[in-house]
Amino acid sequence: MELFAEQVLNGCALGALYALFAIGFGLVFATLGILNAAHGTYASWAAIAALAATERLGLPFPLAVLAGVVAGGLLALFVDQVAFQPLRARGAGMLAALITSIAFWIILDSLAGFATGQQSLSFPQGSYPARMYHLGTMPLPAMQLLTIAAMLVATFGIHLLVRRSRFGAAMRAVGWNGAAAALGGVNPRMVVLATAFLAGATSGLAGVLAGISTQNVSFSLGEGLLLKGFAAVVVGGYDDVRGAAIAGVALGIAEVITAQYLSTSLRDGITYALLLGFLLVRPRGLFGRAGFVRA
Amino acid sequence: MRICWRMAAALLIGGAAMPAAHADGLAAGDYRIGFVTENTGPIAFAGLSYYHGAQLAAEEITASGRLGAGVKLTLADKESGSDPARAIQDMHQFIADRSILATSCCILSAVAGSLKPIVLGAGMPLVIFGATAPGLPKPPVVYSMTILPGPKDVATAQHAVEVMHPKTAAYFVSADNDAFKARMAAGQHAVEAAGVKTVGVVSVLSSDTDFTAPATQAIGYAPDMILVYTTQTPAEGIIAALRARGYAKTIVGNDVLSPATVFKKMGATVADVPFPISFSAALAATPEAKAFVAAYTKKFDAPPDIYSAQGYQVVQFIAQGLHVLSGKPTRESLGAALAQIKSVEPNVYGGEPMVDGQAETKDTVIVAWTKDGAIAPWPSGK
Repeated sequence: MELFAEQVLNGCALGALYALFAIGFGLVFATLGILNAAHGTYASWAAIAALAATERLGLPFPLAVLAGVVAGGLLALFVDQVAFQPLRARGAGMLAALITSIAFWIILDSLAGFATGQQSLSFPQGSYPARMYHLGTMPLPAMQLLTIAAMLVATFGIHLLVRRSRFGAAMRAVGWNGAAAALGGVNPRMVVLATAFLAGATSGLAGVLAGISTQNVSFSLGEGLLLKGFAAVVVGGYDDVRGAAIAGVALGIAEVITAQYLSTSLRDGITYALLLGFLLVRPRGLFGRAGFVRA
Repeated sequence: MRICWRMAAALLIGGAAMPAAHADGLAAGDYRIGFVTENTGPIAFAGLSYYHGAQLAAEEITASGRLGAGVKLTLADKESGSDPARAIQDMHQFIADRSILATSCCILSAVAGSLKPIVLGAGMPLVIFGATAPGLPKPPVVYSMTILPGPKDVATAQHAVEVMHPKTAAYFVSADNDAFKARMAAGQHAVEAAGVKTVGVVSVLSSDTDFTAPATQAIGYAPDMILVYTTQTPAEGIIAALRARGYAKTIVGNDVLSPATVFKKMGATVADVPFPISFSAALAATPEAKAFVAAYTKKFDAPPDIYSAQGYQVVQFIAQGLHVLSGKPTRESLGAALAQIKSVEPNVYGGEPMVDGQAETKDTVIVAWTKDGAIAPWPSGK
């Protein structure tokens, strides 16, 4: 039973990373209408930036995380303005944006490989919370607790932002119809910029925490998050951060429990079977609205 | 097949007529080796080392004039990113380019296996630098300079059992890597033969990055010893996760832990985890090995690792084949000359016999990282 409880905690921590990434991924899709294949690279680059802030600048853990989060947001902003804004201006469809995002995925991935010398790097010991707490005899690693806490704060914060604030109303309006939102007094350009930054920063946070937890800062970091984050968004619903968060955590737990009690080989199969099942049975996801269709 | 027969005939004729060293020497000119690099992609950390080792050897051989006046040995590189499809395209281009005399490739056994029938059909000498699956060499066309880790894994596992006297053992294995599955099976067999009970096998995938759950699973088996048979990134992650979760008993690693970058990344976490090694910059003993370490460190500002050594030996091996040829050698005559080599000279291992196209080393040195970042015999004090 203790082993089961430990593995559920492991699954929650892993799923929290998927959830954080999925929130950013879902925001871009719901508001900007872009299925952004380059989104995983924001996580990779955020982790690289946080590592550089730790090693080169000697910043303490909170500031290094902040540096990574800001780097993820700024990179998302840059990609949006260079890659997607021209397409948006010309009214190009989702397919053009997807193809462009794939190009940026490859470019940014390659550059991340060069930045890390094609190596898998890690944060220096002592530069992050590594303390092990215990609940009875059950170990509770500090980084796992921190990751879960970060996911909860981000989920509730962004949910409140999107659902309860004027800016959130503007985001939803732009996501529904940018031209109509502009007629209603919303500045779509500002909403797009802020959403791109927020999405990149959230996924960047996932990247930094993943880089620390797994001791793997490399160009491949974002790829795993991208596929699982996409699955979480589909299962949870494109337009609700709560759904993405719950689905992300559920996927993490499902993966870990499958590997523990069934087989590692089935682990990813379970994830994508869930994805396929939701696409067939409930394509709008757990929390998605029935009428939500991207233009 | 026809080309194979032609090469076999060349081998027979060459074997009878071949002098111990070149009579007239190679004609002056540029002799090119097609090198399928893996400098990008998931295992580029190793790919770069292989390539750097090969680059250094080519430059040294050219500069030394070992192959004759005006003879230049160069690498023509094409990147595969460890993708079999790209590697096959690269090899077809090398085969079409008549200036390419021999080729080298492959970290992944699956990629090497894909290229093997192509080079056999074309009669293009191929020297493998990193793929570990046994049975890949096929003289006079395919050779392997990879020091096969299987026997060394077994020796390491046996040594660990003799030293630590465990009663139970658990294993980690890369479930998507046939070579590592075979290595684990051999190690497990040896450990069980020594009376140690297997309490669990934890499978991971080569692309995995989070090992908290697998570590929890392994610790749950309560083993006295954990043996890790995975590629480098998972091995690092598994050891870190086991130690982070408080596992203080013996962890046995494998040769992927030997590069200096592993300690640089993991620090003292990897200390005292034994692994076998056939080359280490820190333990270089022969003049050839010391010279290699010095030259490599000077050129690349980092010490060579086992991958660099294997890349270096690939070019030394091809140069040794060229050395006995005269005039303008062909791919066939070079393949035949390579088949005659019984021991690669010079080498950085203190002896590198060739057996049926496969490079070997004599001894298994079992070492571990110290907390200070040095490689020392394991257990310490021996």
